Amino acid sequence: MAVINVEHLKKEFSYYRKETGLSGSLHNLFHREILTKEAVRDITFSVEKGEIIALLGPNGAGKTTTLKMLSGILYPTSGRALVDGFIPWERRNEFKRRFSIVMGQKNQLWWDLPASDSFYLNKCIFEIDDQQYIRTVEELSELLAVRELMSVQVRRLSLGERMKMEILAALIHRPEILFLDEPTIGLDIVSQQKIRSFLKYYNEQEKTTIILTSHYMRDIEELCERGVIISQGQVVYDGMLSGINHLMGDKKVITLKFSEDISPKQLAPFGRIRECRCREGVLELPREGLRKTMADILSGLPVEDFTVTEVPLEESIALIFRKEAVS
Amino acid sequence: MNPYRCIFQMGIEKSLEYRVNVLLTMAGSVFPVVLQTFMWTYLYGHADAAASTGYSYSQIMIYTLLATLVSQLVSTGFAWQINDDIRQGGLNKYLVRPVHYGGCQFCSFLGEKIPQFLLLLVAAVAVIVFSMAVFGLTLSAARVFLFVISLLFALALNFFLFYSIALISFWLTDVNQFFGTVGIVLVVISGGILPLDIFGEKAVFLTRLLPFGYTTQFPVNIINGRYSMCMVGTGLLCQIFWIVSFAFLGELLWKKGLRHYIAVGG
Repeated sequence: MAVINVEHLKKEFSYYRKETGLSGSLHNLFHREILTKEAVRDITFSVEKGEIIALLGPNGAGKTTTLKMLSGILYPTSGRALVDGFIPWERRNEFKRRFSIVMGQKNQLWWDLPASDSFYLNKCIFEIDDQQYIRTVEELSELLAVRELMSVQVRRLSLGERMKMEILAALIHRPEILFLDEPTIGLDIVSQQKIRSFLKYYNEQEKTTIILTSHYMRDIEELCERGVIISQGQVVYDGMLSGINHLMGDKKVITLKFSEDISPKQLAPFGRIRECRCREGVLELPREGLRKTMADILSGLPVEDFTVTEVPLEESIALIFRKEAVS
Repeated sequence: MNPYRCIFQMGIEKSLEYRVNVLLTMAGSVFPVVLQTFMWTYLYGHADAAASTGYSYSQIMIYTLLATLVSQLVSTGFAWQINDDIRQGGLNKYLVRPVHYGGCQFCSFLGEKIPQFLLLLVAAVAVIVFSMAVFGLTLSAARVFLFVISLLFALALNFFLFYSIALISFWLTDVNQFFGTVGIVLVVISGGILPLDIFGEKAVFLTRLLPFGYTTQFPVNIINGRYSMCMVGTGLLCQIFWIVSFAFLGELLWKKGLRHYIAVGG
């Protein structure tokens, strides 16, 4: 059963243009040309209970605006959305108890006090009983490895530590729906990995429905099976991430190692060359007829070793972004 | 625990974290007092100031000391925070939780006031004892009680007044400079520096009509005995009227403003 239903959601913002320099500022002092920007043009999708979906798109595509409308922070210009049976922008308290939003670039903790104070505040706001609160904080702080940092002022924490605290604070009331807007932005590889494994584990345990936006493909690949790709405020792809490759021409990437130097001319007849350097070469081949082409390569060239992989997800997605931008 | 009580406690904790800031803010108010002492001493020594102001030297000194204390006590500093929340998107964290933003700000404001309030209480006792000994101030228990009540009302009124002003940030994005100006103007027109009745009958009328005087001049005039008990009663009712009015205005601005809110940034 779909727990999130979004239909033809649209959000317009008004803004004004300013030309570079002082003359532009002086001109704007007397006359401001008000323009309208469609941050979200027409978005329709749904999410099943317990599913983790990725909301993907280039910067300015409308991902964050969509999440802000789904969490009731913004009113849409038009369109409909139901999150767990509630219209988000009506901001009912019962609705607010069912979800959480974490924004990688926004701080939701009390800056001047330790994170534990913010957790306790959330406990009071969401009326969590003492036993459950203690259990939740102990369990989550253990999983995120932040137990030692609970009594340190938030402003003294590193970005990674703060992000883990943000996630912990968002989960105090065990929400059924979680919106994560770039939760790993700016974090080092170890912290990213820690947060990813945590989210995966948490989703499996609690069956929380999650919408995730991220520019790191590792986040997407490890956590989501399904993706909704937005470009210029519209949905351009909604389906399994494994299906994107198929959509983009169903290709495979073959990495070859040779026992002697190879020239591009020798590789060219087999497929599109991605890379050719001395004893190494990377080819892009259609999935269809792969077996025969590989047999030809192995018999025709001095191959020492080879690997066959899918086209990286980010390349397929970038291709969709580019296609949409051109069209 | 009730979330608002929790926010109140966190307000206390926050101001204790920055205890030097609390002390410096209070120390900053000593300078204008010294300046005014010199000014009044000079004026009363060289001209018949008492005839033109209607205050004797000791009365004006009592007023200056008490008004400085009261305006410190009711002063607010959250307008900048609200402007920042609206401009930078910090409001989001309140919108997604089942709490009222204005209620949170009010409890946090009260909490942050507590340590300052306790320190000022000591200062107030010192000032009152000093005024009784040096300037011949006389006090009754009823006046002290009514002074404390009016002070609490003044605190609430100043909160809602500044809350409403701060919510202008929904329409005018960067108004920090404006808050500074409004803050100074309000201290003056609330009688925080000079008693406004020295400017004549019209000033007295306007002070009673407008809400500003009820934040500072009114409580001071209760304790220094310038207001009769009847005027105190009317004044307390006026304070309640203005608190309710500004609370409504704040709620209206909040609801209208949220339609303008664009929650900028990632």
